[in-house]
Amino acid sequence: MSEDELDPVIHAPARLRIVVTLAALPDGDNLSFTRLQDLIGLTPGNLITHLRKLDDAGYVRMEKSGSGVNGTTSVSLTREGRGALDRYTTVLRDLLDQAGSAPPR
Amino acid sequence: MNEDVDMKDGAGLDDGAAGLDAQGAAAIMQEAGERARRELRVSHPVIFIAAGVAWLLGYGAIWLSVRGQHPYQGPAPEAAVIQVVLVGFAVAIAASIISRATSGVGGLSMVQRRVSILAFASGIVAVLVLEAAIDHAGASRSVVFGVYQAAAPVLVAGVVYAVNSAVRLNWTLLGLGLWLIAVAAGGAFAGPVGVWAVTALAGGLGYLLMAALGPALDRHR
Repeated sequence: MSEDELDPVIHAPARLRIVVTLAALPDGDNLSFTRLQDLIGLTPGNLITHLRKLDDAGYVRMEKSGSGVNGTTSVSLTREGRGALDRYTTVLRDLLDQAGSAPPR
Repeated sequence: MNEDVDMKDGAGLDDGAAGLDAQGAAAIMQEAGERARRELRVSHPVIFIAAGVAWLLGYGAIWLSVRGQHPYQGPAPEAAVIQVVLVGFAVAIAASIISRATSGVGGLSMVQRRVSILAFASGIVAVLVLEAAIDHAGASRSVVFGVYQAAAPVLVAGVVYAVNSAVRLNWTLLGLGLWLIAVAAGGAFAGPVGVWAVTALAGGLGYLLMAALGPALDRHR
């Protein structure tokens, strides 16, 4: 097993943080773009770029409500995204087991 | 806040995947997961401590005001004011903690919270209307402003907590809900004076016990 088997959509520092943060929410919940930005610490432009990659893969859902200054965007992890994170975690555990390191919690 | 964001500064982004090894990914997962859980979860212990202190002192103040009344008249206005202020203080602390943790969080949890607040508020209004009805029907002050006034709101709080625990699979809330139901039902047998003392001690200490045990119980969720 090698690191090539890790899902490349998730296997980037910013996207990994985004997916793990959204996974901390209960099923059916979403997070506003601004709160997610606070938690991740990215610029709006960088965050939206990473979110689009995740959206294209079907891992997150972005919903806009309102428009102009009152517009808000909410982001949630899809079932596919949660499954992809579970698979990513499994592969990562196996890699760390091979290397003799502590697996992620 | 306007969230129609400018995407230009993300163009041509180096996502850093090339330099990320398994150990680095594990560290990011742990750090991001811990931060998300710390920031997004409501801290129940502080809420329970505030509620426990409010119950102990609020119901305790009323018990001190009715102790020794012959015949029973009911809580002194000053004691009732103390209780309302303390409960208001506890509610303000809870609202502040919940608001900070749930800022920007939408979806099912938000709906559940609103339904819970509506259920609790409806229950308290119903308790007050029923109290007026029982008084109007000619029940004694011992029943209306003693046993009923002390126990009925506790029963409502207990039932709301217990029902919420089923929705959220939260064992702390279930324990607290069942305990408050028992305090309301059992405390009523202590009579119009004793019910205030039982509610102060058993209810208040129940909240404080849950503040201490809650984190351990929630780890099993």
